Amino acid sequence: MDVIMPQLGETVSEGTVSVWHKTIGDAVSTKERLFDVSSDKVEMEVPAPAEGTLLEIRVGAGVTVPVGEVVAIIVREGEVIEVGAGLSEAAEEAAPKAAAAPVREVSVKSANRDANGNPLSPAVRRLVAENSLDPVAIAGSGLNGRLKKKDVLAHLNSGAAVRSALKPAPLDFAGEDTEVIPFNNLRKLTAEHMVRSKATSPHVLQAVEADFARVARARSGVSAAWKKREGFSLTYLPFIAKALCEAVREFPHVNAAIDDENLVVFRRVNLAIAVDLDFDGLVAPVIKDADQMSLQELARAIRDGSERARTNQLKPEDFTGGTYTISNSGVFGTMITAPIINQPQVAILSTDAITKKPVVIETEDGDTIGIRPVGVLAQSFDHRAIDGAYSAAFLNRVRDIIQTKDWAAVLA
Amino acid sequence: MAELTYREAVAEAIAQEMRRDEDVVFLGEDIGAAGGVFKATVGLFKEFGPVRVRDTPISEQAILGAAMGSAMTGLKPIAEIMFSDFLAVCWDIVANEIAKARYMTGGQMSMPLVIRTANGGGSRFGAQHSQSVENWAMMVPGLKVVAPSSPADVKGLLAAAIRDPDPVMFFEQKSLYPIKGFVPDGELVDVLGTAKVLRDGGDVTIVALAAMVPRAVKAAEELSAQHGIEATVVDVRSLVPLDTQTILREVSKTGRLVTVEENPRLCGWGAEIASIVADEIFWDLDGPIMRITTPHIPLPAADELEDATMPSAERIVREIVENID
Repeated sequence: MDVIMPQLGETVSEGTVSVWHKTIGDAVSTKERLFDVSSDKVEMEVPAPAEGTLLEIRVGAGVTVPVGEVVAIIVREGEVIEVGAGLSEAAEEAAPKAAAAPVREVSVKSANRDANGNPLSPAVRRLVAENSLDPVAIAGSGLNGRLKKKDVLAHLNSGAAVRSALKPAPLDFAGEDTEVIPFNNLRKLTAEHMVRSKATSPHVLQAVEADFARVARARSGVSAAWKKREGFSLTYLPFIAKALCEAVREFPHVNAAIDDENLVVFRRVNLAIAVDLDFDGLVAPVIKDADQMSLQELARAIRDGSERARTNQLKPEDFTGGTYTISNSGVFGTMITAPIINQPQVAILSTDAITKKPVVIETEDGDTIGIRPVGVLAQSFDHRAIDGAYSAAFLNRVRDIIQTKDWAAVLA
Repeated sequence: MAELTYREAVAEAIAQEMRRDEDVVFLGEDIGAAGGVFKATVGLFKEFGPVRVRDTPISEQAILGAAMGSAMTGLKPIAEIMFSDFLAVCWDIVANEIAKARYMTGGQMSMPLVIRTANGGGSRFGAQHSQSVENWAMMVPGLKVVAPSSPADVKGLLAAAIRDPDPVMFFEQKSLYPIKGFVPDGELVDVLGTAKVLRDGGDVTIVALAAMVPRAVKAAEELSAQHGIEATVVDVRSLVPLDTQTILREVSKTGRLVTVEENPRLCGWGAEIASIVADEIFWDLDGPIMRITTPHIPLPAADELEDATMPSAERIVREIVENID
């Protein structure tokens, strides 16, 4: 029976096989992982659709295919496979053995196949080995997309190969003095995204200091009742999110993406909130239409996203569609953080610790010094999209809202 | 530079060498007064007379026995076997005696002779007069094997064969006798064991011999014009010695080898080249090696059947288009 690329979410049309946990000839089960799939930032474990033996792998690790595409074939116990029924030679060879005895008989090294499963010619194998290339990443121009020598040569002459050649040679860190921790898929995706974002967007950091006195008063007024009613503490973050959503209405260009030479301004405000997974990775579930929510709804949505992130309950659609991102390191007492833009967005806000500080307060009777809860709001923006004055005016507006809004009334 | 036919180039080469060296003699059936059954030796009898150009009885063994004896005693004979199929009755003297004399006498005796013969099909002569048997000779240690595809190569290579101190089997493809080509004026001596690159292309290397060479060139033009496939064409010219350097270099460039052989498929010369290529430059290959040959059957005499069995330019094009990518 066919194993297909599963639907990863309503808006997702393709998925990438990140790793195969079984090789051809292995027994597979509905209770065991067969392969992992990734798309954007979600990684999903896929068990076999039935008990049986893995007969053929059609889509190698690292390859992206549309949802519904056959990625593997398994043979159920007692199932008869017709030799020649569109199976590859390797599968035909494995078929009788697999059906008779589900033991590891044939192993197909995906490294010796191209993206379309064609075996690599000797010339291609040599070129790939000599230049440390990934054959799956090079488009083939032969029959059935077969990767030919001239495709590899063309690839080598293109910028792609130059870039990969610029990668430093792997260092040999192995030894008693080190512990080598392989990147998991999330780490790899994060690493790739961060490098790509910095390479794509000229980042500019701006920060304002905001006085959270009004927020703090409103919060303390309802704190106990809120905790009792909702089951979690009301933090500063929903207030910042609310202020930000209001400011975005006046400065919509921060809620945007760049497409070639166009600024694509989003009409919806979908806030991605970065969540740390107990030091084991970072995800940013998206709150859709955050600007349509009340403060209370925002607080619940933020709480819900981080809870589900930490318990690995997020769905693929929770990661898509973000238009602006907030990153919050304040819990660890940081003063200021320069965040990296969540591509393809054009701006990201970091909220840091809100601490009591002596503040000069201007009154009609003259200046006085008071103790106020103060925090820094730092925004990195893509200077291709907007300029410093626009960004500063936006930040200033966020601060104004935080400092002057009647938050007690909002919470009432 | 004169335009000659393939058959005229044969007579020119023999005449050139007989004028230069009095030890060169020529013998065979109907080669003298009649000028050869394929008219490839016209004029030699008249110029050099019945002592140096000898008509013989119909006995291939006698012809080669006489050639061997005269070579052992200081002459440089050229012997003609009218149809290469008839070599079968000569095999003891060719494979056991002529090919082994230098080795078995420890180099005391050389065998400077040439056995010319009309080889191959395409002329409606039937299964016993149409065989392409260059691979029979190729597998005997001690023989050199040459098979030219053009008038210029006939003249230059035949002259080189006559001057060579060891026995050379010189296969003239009988369907090529009427073809014309320019041949440089004056003395012409080529080098045995050198292949020629006739066409340069980046996609596939076609290696061909004798009558298959013009068909391979025609196929290459068609592949380029109709299918966007650019083929290199190598004319092997000499099976022993074999110019492996040129063949390996040209196959390395494209990563694809196609041999076009008139001999029947089993143990054809292309199998040897395929084997050498797989041994020496496996890691340069970008796809399977392909052999286009006459099938392993006696060659039919009927026009349509003979045409259907031998590799044609159309078949070369078709097989390459279907299999090369």
